[in-house]
Amino acid sequence: MLTAPPGSADEAIAALLASPELAPLVAAHRVIEPRAPRHAPWPAGVEPRLVDALRGRGIEAPYTHQAAAYGAAAAGRNVVVVTPTASGKTLCYNLPVLGAVAADDAARALYLFPTKALAADQLVELRGLADAAGLGLKSHTYDGDTPPNVRSVVRAAGQVVITNPDMLHSAILPHHTKWFKLFENLRFVVIDELHTYRGLFGSHVANVVRRLRRICAHYGADPVFICASATIANPRELAERIVEAPVELIDDNGAPSGRRHVLVINPPVANEQLGVRGSALLTGQRLAERLIRGGVQTIAFARSRTAVEVLTSYLRETFAPPPGHPHTIRGYRGGYLPNERNEIERGLRDGRVRGVVATNALELGIDIGSLDAAISIGYPGTIASTWQQMGRAGRRTGTSLSALVCSSAPIDQFLAAHPEYLFYSSPEHGLVNPDNLHVLLNHLRASSFELPVPAGERFGIDETPMLLDVLQEDGWIRRAEDDRYYWSHENFPASDFSLRSGAPENVVIVDTTGERHRVLGEVDLFAAPLLVHEKAIYIHQGVQYHVDRLDWDERKAFVTRTDVDYYTDADLGITLKVLEVFDEADVPPAGKRQRGEVMVAWKVTMFKKLKYHTHENVGWGSISLPETEMHTTATWLVPPAELVNRYDRDTLDGALIGLARVARTTGALLLMCDPRDLGVLAQVQAPFTGRPTLYLYDAVPGGVGLTERLFGLVDELIRVCREAVDSCACADGCPACVGPAIEVGPRGKAVVSELLAGMG
Amino acid sequence: MRSLADRLATLPRPRPAAQPVDHAAARERADRLARWFGARLDVQEGGAAVVVERRIRLPSDVASRLATLAPGSYFDTETTGLSTGAGTVVFLSGTGRLLGDELVVRQLLLPDYPHERALLRLLAADLAERPRLVTYNGRGFDLPLLAARLTVNGLFREQAGLPAQHDDLLPVARRLFRRPLGGARLATIEAGVLGVRRGLDCPGSEVPLRYFSYLRGSSPDVLADVLDHNLQDVVSVALLEGEVVRLRAGGWVHADVLDRRGMAVELMRCGAVDDAIGLLEDASHAATDAGEVVALRRLATRLLLAGGEVERAEALWTSGTRRASLDAATAWIEVARIRERHRGDLHGAMEAAAAASRVLDLAFALGRGGGMREVGKVRLRVEARLRRLRRWTAAAERRAAAQRRRVSPRGPGGPPLPTWPGRLAS
Repeated sequence: MLTAPPGSADEAIAALLASPELAPLVAAHRVIEPRAPRHAPWPAGVEPRLVDALRGRGIEAPYTHQAAAYGAAAAGRNVVVVTPTASGKTLCYNLPVLGAVAADDAARALYLFPTKALAADQLVELRGLADAAGLGLKSHTYDGDTPPNVRSVVRAAGQVVITNPDMLHSAILPHHTKWFKLFENLRFVVIDELHTYRGLFGSHVANVVRRLRRICAHYGADPVFICASATIANPRELAERIVEAPVELIDDNGAPSGRRHVLVINPPVANEQLGVRGSALLTGQRLAERLIRGGVQTIAFARSRTAVEVLTSYLRETFAPPPGHPHTIRGYRGGYLPNERNEIERGLRDGRVRGVVATNALELGIDIGSLDAAISIGYPGTIASTWQQMGRAGRRTGTSLSALVCSSAPIDQFLAAHPEYLFYSSPEHGLVNPDNLHVLLNHLRASSFELPVPAGERFGIDETPMLLDVLQEDGWIRRAEDDRYYWSHENFPASDFSLRSGAPENVVIVDTTGERHRVLGEVDLFAAPLLVHEKAIYIHQGVQYHVDRLDWDERKAFVTRTDVDYYTDADLGITLKVLEVFDEADVPPAGKRQRGEVMVAWKVTMFKKLKYHTHENVGWGSISLPETEMHTTATWLVPPAELVNRYDRDTLDGALIGLARVARTTGALLLMCDPRDLGVLAQVQAPFTGRPTLYLYDAVPGGVGLTERLFGLVDELIRVCREAVDSCACADGCPACVGPAIEVGPRGKAVVSELLAGMG
Repeated sequence: MRSLADRLATLPRPRPAAQPVDHAAARERADRLARWFGARLDVQEGGAAVVVERRIRLPSDVASRLATLAPGSYFDTETTGLSTGAGTVVFLSGTGRLLGDELVVRQLLLPDYPHERALLRLLAADLAERPRLVTYNGRGFDLPLLAARLTVNGLFREQAGLPAQHDDLLPVARRLFRRPLGGARLATIEAGVLGVRRGLDCPGSEVPLRYFSYLRGSSPDVLADVLDHNLQDVVSVALLEGEVVRLRAGGWVHADVLDRRGMAVELMRCGAVDDAIGLLEDASHAATDAGEVVALRRLATRLLLAGGEVERAEALWTSGTRRASLDAATAWIEVARIRERHRGDLHGAMEAAAAASRVLDLAFALGRGGGMREVGKVRLRVEARLRRLRRWTAAAERRAAAQRRRVSPRGPGGPPLPTWPGRLAS
């Protein structure tokens, strides 16, 4: 009963599409027609042994984009390659890199991937090609998993070093003298998954690249940068901001693809009054069950780690293997240990695993081969990630299916109502702000440890001399008589900060069920209060654990196995304090808009116990954990007094919640960013303004420039919000616009509309 | 719009204590530093270094022992941090060389960062004069750091000229003294073995801060203690090497503070295998702790077997089988192992294993075996060995019988039969 024979995927998909139960849920159905391959002749200069090796694998000629990328990179021009998943992107950089190493034994290249798993994968691929060509390549990954005895060999002799930006930041650059063979001969720097380097992380990575360039210059190298990215609106701009040099765009995809059905699915309306739709998780589960049962290897993406675990449990119930046999359904998310992840990836490739439920950890290009179907449960936040998740399904030949199952979230409902946005609008911009002062200052510190900084040197911005003086005042560096700033502190600056988040450490989850304690996994510090607060039910691989104790100072959560019929969901409380106003505009009669620096603090204060399947509330508890703070930038709107005075406090309170909700959705659309990157907070009596206020803030410390952009778009924001609210077919508010009436009040929708009219 | 400086002022930064900034002129500062310590300023291309030279009289027996070795540079550095990353700088080096009964210690002190290249050149030239480096933890710290500094400054020729031989005394001291002293920090060795008492010493953690303080304008006096600290380090390295030479040359016989097992390893590494075996045999008789006795015997057995002295190795263990105890059973297992592996005597091995089994039963009956758990563990080892031996002897007999009956099935030209019975035999 488990699986139908392979090869029946086409029929199973056809049967599903024809089924009458599915039809009413389909908000949009597009068929992407198969594409024929387009090849180019091998460019002049490609290493003949590589050509032979590739021919041996059935690659007679490169795709057009591969030939173009080789041509540019080999000629010394920086490139960014933007083509869909599984289009042979890796050859775009492996070809010139292996060519350089084949021609000159001393030549070196550095590969950067956002995760260790991707790096390990790439090593296998690179070595496979090098071995087939008889090149005897010396290559290895260099990360936390590299054994100490291998490390020194990689440092001295590794021709292609495969690592991640974090490792480059904390282990390679500060110890560049041990790596001088690499830096002296560095010809290529490969940055794959470029689109993941946006926001705060991208801003950090851009600064790591600044440091890398300083070291290369010191050793007399000037490497060519080869970037590869999933589809985003501004790949070239993003690459140029990170590399800080002109970059050539290559986006003429020559790879073939099979027929693909793309569906936007909206669960049925469950409650007309509340405007609530059925659970996306449940709809996604049904869809996945049907596909897997038909022999369609399927991946389902859920947005939260909890959702991943819940769905894994459900599917495992359905597809329970005979006793003693391994599960054919696996969960996959961040927080699993490396060997657990490797095993799942292997199972996917060799077909033992028939279904996977993943968070976006698998969204990146891990080489699991292609699957037959991909289901995104809930809009992943950006158009680019949606397509990336959908791209997980897609064979070179044969039919595949990708589906987005919309949740009740406003942006999901917006997409269900306007699916053309998904198909025709350009995807998001990758925004980075390498000049974020928090970020830049930390990297300038780290860089001055690596090499003294001459007084006239420019590190990213013209104001570098001022920053150097600030660092000197603080006692980190000192200007010596030769007018260079030298690191003058006993600390090691690269260990003071992390590239990924403000949180330097993870919380380790320790299972104390057995006689011996074992480490179950990790969660990052910001997520810890939500997931592993005391009395939480933490779910790992479908198994429930009760959190007995969270030792915040030691960063450890102690859990024991349990079996209960509920899960927990924590509530987040947010406060905001204005520190400084940078800019303001008084637009009578529409009210006031301001922009400035704020401190946002959040705290988890209580949690709910929700029953499985019905999701009804069966209890709650309080949580006492320290507050987490963040300095960032915000734009806030203050509606005119005569407008707000018309309403009583409760009405206004509800309406502001609705306003915040719709402003976040449309703000994210206008800024083309993930709604999670844009924080919102509505205060009916804000301490700073003394009046009802709507704050929109950059959800990363220091900001990446979102709200600065938004300040110039306020009028448009209000106009689009008003359109969204007024054009929504619901009576008193629904998740697609301001939220259901129980949240925003009986007059909520009308009041939001009036407020918007008054503010516009 | 706020100015950048205003915004910077509001940034939350980890703020170390602010210190006054000094703008004293370069050469003047170097001169002043040299004058302060009554030292010479060696001006080189790329800067200058203060050269402090001091002579320390060594006990004459120590000096004469050191004189038997290849000339060495007793070497230690003081740095601006504990990481070996590219931002940590050597601001003071101490190099001692033996001259008669005296240790001549030359310290090179960095007047300020820009002079680093000069200091490194002088240092590398000094070290290149003798064929050997002697340090305490130089392998883990001083030399990687020196290599990093030479690399940052592009002094690759100087790097190639450093002595090839490097004797790091830290692993030796760990072997000889860590267990009896409970640690192997240089200060611990000084107090426990070398009889050195440091006066008002500058703690190592304070060293970088003292130098930063000097750089930021404090009087060079803050560095006086650091120079003394470094001097003592260099002298202690020389004294320690003298002590190691003494112990190796037979001093171990009467040494009070010494790890015998570690000493045996040390002797073995120096090629004095007979001394090592003798030491271990004596020590295993004298030792009172059962675990230690076994460890000493194991090591001795390894050395004896490596030298082909199977008899002596076996005798070492049979001497421990008289009293019915868990240790006796363990000893019989070792005898069985030696007979099996090194004599090829399967029957003898069987006998020994059977003896182990008997002794174990007896010991358990007499209540000498310790807990069920310990006895059980040895029991498992005994049984496993017995089973294996039974299988192998049976196989060997079968093969011998077959041999008697006929010629080899593979014929005379075929590969020889495996000499070691495999699992297939059963």
